[in-house]
Amino acid sequence: MNNRNSCKDPMEVLGRSKGYSQKELIKNLPRHYKYNSNLLNQIKNTPEVILRNLGSPIAKKVDKMLKEIFAEAYRAKQFTRTEINNKSVLFGVVLLKHKVMDLVLDYFHKRWPQCIICLYNEHTQLTGIINEKGITQEIKQSLKEVVKKISRKRQISPYFEDIQFSNDEIFETLYQSQNIKERKNTRYFNSMIPKHCFKLPGMRKGVEKRFTSKNKKIEEYFK
Amino acid sequence: MPSTLEKIRILGANSKYDICASTASSRSNKYPKLFGASKKWIGATASAGICHSYTPDGRCMSLFKTLFTNKCIYSCKYCFTQGCKQKLSFTPEEYARTFMKLYSMNVVEGVFITSGVCRSADDTTEDMLEAVRLLRFKYNFQGYIHFKCLPGLSQHLLKEAISLSDRISVNSEASTTDFLSEIAEQKDYKNDIITRQRWLKAIRIKHNEEVLKKMKDQKRDNELEYQEKKIIEHRKNGYKKFRWDDAPILNSGQTTQFVVGAAEEETDWDLLKRIDWQYKAVDMRRAYFSAFIPLEGTPLAKKKAAPLEREHRLYQSDWLLRIYHYKLKDLKDILTDEGNLPFGDPKVHFAREYFKEHSLVDPNETTYQELIRVPGIGPISAKRIINLQNQNYKFTRREQLKSVGVVLKRADPFLKINGKNQTTLQKFFITNENNIFQESV
Ligand code: SF4
Repeated sequence: MNNRNSCKDPMEVLGRSKGYSQKELIKNLPRHYKYNSNLLNQIKNTPEVILRNLGSPIAKKVDKMLKEIFAEAYRAKQFTRTEINNKSVLFGVVLLKHKVMDLVLDYFHKRWPQCIICLYNEHTQLTGIINEKGITQEIKQSLKEVVKKISRKRQISPYFEDIQFSNDEIFETLYQSQNIKERKNTRYFNSMIPKHCFKLPGMRKGVEKRFTSKNKKIEEYFK
Repeated sequence: MPSTLEKIRILGANSKYDICASTASSRSNKYPKLFGASKKWIGATASAGICHSYTPDGRCMSLFKTLFTNKCIYSCKYCFTQGCKQKLSFTPEEYARTFMKLYSMNVVEGVFITSGVCRSADDTTEDMLEAVRLLRFKYNFQGYIHFKCLPGLSQHLLKEAISLSDRISVNSEASTTDFLSEIAEQKDYKNDIITRQRWLKAIRIKHNEEVLKKMKDQKRDNELEYQEKKIIEHRKNGYKKFRWDDAPILNSGQTTQFVVGAAEEETDWDLLKRIDWQYKAVDMRRAYFSAFIPLEGTPLAKKKAAPLEREHRLYQSDWLLRIYHYKLKDLKDILTDEGNLPFGDPKVHFAREYFKEHSLVDPNETTYQELIRVPGIGPISAKRIINLQNQNYKFTRREQLKSVGVVLKRADPFLKINGKNQTTLQKFFITNENNIFQESV
């Protein structure tokens, strides 16, 4: 590539389609479960242009790592299913390999600022908690214990008592009602909910899986 | 007395052909707190939207989308409610509470409230608005709300709906008065639809101009603190009188929807003309297309379904008009004799026609307008290329284009670098014929 101003290749920086800045990498790489300090040093000593250029092996590697981190946080925001009790405690189960619990907790905190949010991470077996002030902590206790303990100290909130009714059936009914049989497109569906998402705790028993399952129920053979 | 679940089942199914793809609201970036910084507000919007589930056809299902009632004084020939024997309505409280429960389960992102027209548009809208008021002011929900403007709605109710929602849609259903009267004879295209779309634009512009002026006058330092004070002031006068102060209203704009293939002779060209007009004249944010499906019990039950392929081509062409800013006449050049879009990607068809008469594109020298005519180059990669031109960087190898996001496989036949092109167009059309025309929907 012709570049009269520098011997590096800034074109990828200016016109990049992909890649993360050095600052973003230094901030977020420690979240990756395969992170080690050597890698961080390597990043610190690598010029930004190379980190941005996905042609370089190091850039390719860290780009992939960051994508894995953010994808995991995003999927958790999408597919974690939660419950709320009348003591304004919102709780659910997640499966997070990377250290993104704070991002997921923050997402719920912004939606439910008066609630204490508790998320149990099946991978680390820790329960992440964020309180009304936005302070987070992780403790080694089961979700049930944590929710019980926190709820004990809190007053019943009429607001949350008010929305305590029914169960998963509401969503199941809504989901089924939206299905247009004539438009079924399994390939598209699989690209929107890739198979690995069904391993997430909120999706394991998800109505989505039953609906798109290839296994026919016995009665369907008699139609 | 039917249960809430029964209502969701029936009213949800009655609304499933209504399309609402996005839950994104610009409010999330600029005005994170709808009614001030108080902690009592629940919910949030995301600028890119979040999808919590997908139906088996891959469509995002992130909104609590049901009819408010399926009782309707109209008898549109394509409509699901025509064939539905069981007539039901939510109560506002039931609707609001059901949504909040779903929201607490993190399975929905917001509300899409639509309805049949029971008694009159104003009567039904009053009930729908009551549900939205409850959501906003009893349940303190400040997340995403999409409100459907019913045909013939009064201006004062539309104003209130605007003040409480992120997005309003007025369904066009068809492209002209004649086509609409063919499928929904009681609806008045000009009055029920176009006038309402114009009102939406006018109300929004007026509000935003006033807000901008006020913001400039006051030169406030602390936006949130200011909002909080204003809200307390307004609260004294009753919540109905105010909206989220000083934020531009209708952050997700107005949208519309067409039933494709229900009117006998309506062509793609008719639809494209109409959406192009709407983008220019009424500030339409985007148009949705729903391929006609014949439904049991409706007058059009025997009519053939419109191919999904047609819906897909319309979306592609709409994208060219809305995002690429192609001219309507550009698309006219590729239509078939019947006035429909040809089979295959409209952009590729257009490029084939265009590059018969124009020379191939050299990314080191060309303009933005030329670049976006090349398949495989979108507005973002075109902007990057222009940015590089301005910095005097030159592409010497075609592979370098990949680093700016160009899909080289598609773009290659239309490009030349250093005076050389990779393959002849002729060759491309022969070898890639299958790729272009067997593209999946
Ligand atoms: S107005 Fe027409 S499309 Fe809407 S619910 Fe009534 S019959 Fe159906």
